Amino acid sequence: MPVPDLTGIADGLATSTSRRGFLARVSRLLTLAAGAGAVRALVSPGEADAFHFCGHIYTTDSCPHPTGLPRIDAQGYPLRAVDGAPVDDLGRPIDAAGNPIDASRRRLLDPDGRPLPPAPRSRLCQEAVAERFDLHTRIDGAWYRCCGGHVRKLVDCCARTRKRINGDGALTGYCYSGRRVFCVMYYDTKIPC
Amino acid sequence: MLTVALAAAAFLAGVTGTWSPCGFSMIETIGAPRRFVLRSCATFALGAVLGGVATFAGIAAVGLAVRGVGRTAVVAAAGLALAAALGELRAARIAPQVRRQVPEHWRRTLPLPLAALLYGVLLGLGFTTFVLTFAVWALAGVVLALGRPELGVVAGVAFGVGRALPVVTIAPLLDRRVGVRLLALIGERPRILRAMRVADGAALLVAVGALLVSPASAATNLGEGFDPSAAGGTVVWTTVAGGVELHEGQVGTASVPAHAVLGGALIAWRDGDTVHVAQAAGLAPVLDMTVPGVDALAVSDTWLVTRSGDMLSAVPLATPDQLHVIASGKPPAQIGRPSLDGDVVVYHVASRSGSRIVADDLAASTRRTLRQTASALLTNPALVGGQLLYVRQTNLAQLLELGPATRRGHDRVLYRLAAPSVHDSGHEPRYTHRTRTPHPKTSPFTLWTTALSATRAYVTLLPRKPSAPARIVSVAR
Repeated sequence: MPVPDLTGIADGLATSTSRRGFLARVSRLLTLAAGAGAVRALVSPGEADAFHFCGHIYTTDSCPHPTGLPRIDAQGYPLRAVDGAPVDDLGRPIDAAGNPIDASRRRLLDPDGRPLPPAPRSRLCQEAVAERFDLHTRIDGAWYRCCGGHVRKLVDCCARTRKRINGDGALTGYCYSGRRVFCVMYYDTKIPC
Repeated sequence: MLTVALAAAAFLAGVTGTWSPCGFSMIETIGAPRRFVLRSCATFALGAVLGGVATFAGIAAVGLAVRGVGRTAVVAAAGLALAAALGELRAARIAPQVRRQVPEHWRRTLPLPLAALLYGVLLGLGFTTFVLTFAVWALAGVVLALGRPELGVVAGVAFGVGRALPVVTIAPLLDRRVGVRLLALIGERPRILRAMRVADGAALLVAVGALLVSPASAATNLGEGFDPSAAGGTVVWTTVAGGVELHEGQVGTASVPAHAVLGGALIAWRDGDTVHVAQAAGLAPVLDMTVPGVDALAVSDTWLVTRSGDMLSAVPLATPDQLHVIASGKPPAQIGRPSLDGDVVVYHVASRSGSRIVADDLAASTRRTLRQTASALLTNPALVGGQLLYVRQTNLAQLLELGPATRRGHDRVLYRLAAPSVHDSGHEPRYTHRTRTPHPKTSPFTLWTTALSATRAYVTLLPRKPSAPARIVSVAR
């Protein structure tokens, strides 16, 4: 079912409320405006299927990730979304020592057979976003949803900022102590659901 | 792509030049006296090509000399070419129009083949007689902005061939009915000229696209090879068949030992664990020494720097028994290939926590970090005359940058490749595409070792496919 464009109302609400409160109010509004089907499309209690990746239920954009989708590991380092392979800041798959490797997990070599150098590997929120946007970032809390048959942790990258990465008003989301959501990431557990 | 587009535009501009008083005159002059027609055709074609090369290679050389190369100059030239293309497509009146003609009396006072040669030169020069197309002006602007003499030669040859082709095709047929008909066709059907000008315009549009869309096309592909090294106007690199030496501005290459580097008046190369140093001119031996595990070199008139594993060492050429360890790294951190300019050696240090480019003054025993980052990968510096060339890789692009060898240099991008790794779409399947996550193209190459001469920068392109050979490209500084 198509969802009516309520961006203006939503943005107005978004700047003056917490994420959970905001979503509840939006849900009530949408129930009146577009019926229960549209609400389910935005805020579903189980298999979340809104916005640009599974489990994400608002419009805050992804944290800048070396390969695109903001998949991270338990420590916050970037993983390639398609297969969970660890990648460096250039997006190259790497081995346990941080050396770049090819699809066959062999080290990348120069024409003399010498390994190519390692690149930095930064934690997405705490290091990469902090350096690039000159913010003091941290991960406060998270929320879990069922995505693709596994439990997924939705992680907010929080900072003391009124603007989010999109350039407009930031929400409270899962952040505490006055911090707001600058950008979002996710961590896929191996727990089936 | 750019070379082909420029050649096509120049060829079509040359052909369009037939529709001019001089073009028609040449057909009648060369075709009428039957005894000399073939010889005259040959000399005319030769002259046209010589004239074209003189004009466009000369303009390119001026561009190179004044360092007109740069994004601003290229964009300005693209703008001029775009205006010329629109003028061609709309059949606008040519302005400024050169209204001179070749000297008529030459056909009477000189042997006809000689006169044809001189006429060919004048017509090939492009700006000495009538040409009924804007493309000549546009091409001149493009080769001036690019400042690449080899591109000027290509454009000049194509223009000369284009100017000569209709003349040498029709002139020998002038005593036959088909020749007369062809000449009448050219003279009486303005639609053909109109079609030629549309073709000129289309070719210029393609050239504009090649100029703007593909910055990489501004590079000259030198063929297979890796690890370039330059000194003065000479560059060497290594191929699977051995070493190659190229003198800038000259045609052809020579053989040198593989794994060779240049510095000052010297050349050095490694052969197993043995390092040889010799005079670059004549290969007169200067020094032979054994360096176990040596895998990279740099040389200047006073120093030899070697890398063995992840240890850099320097040896004064005057006292080769005095070995100085400059730097060492612990895997996976890596010390990069050194580059020497006089007493100063530069190299990269790359690790998981960051990368930096370091300059050590071997005479003063001082060290400076010239560039460093915790989020990108800086590698393979080359140093000449206080200018630092290096590779910067991020997850979105690979850049060949040139700037002053100081801590706070302002760098300019000489060459750019797409991302070094594959990116996903930034959204999951069946979810909205509304995300600002960039989705850059992936380059089939990785930028690798560099070299810097007075006028050009060289870089190795490592293929992502292991089976493909590495290659070397050069770009104007």
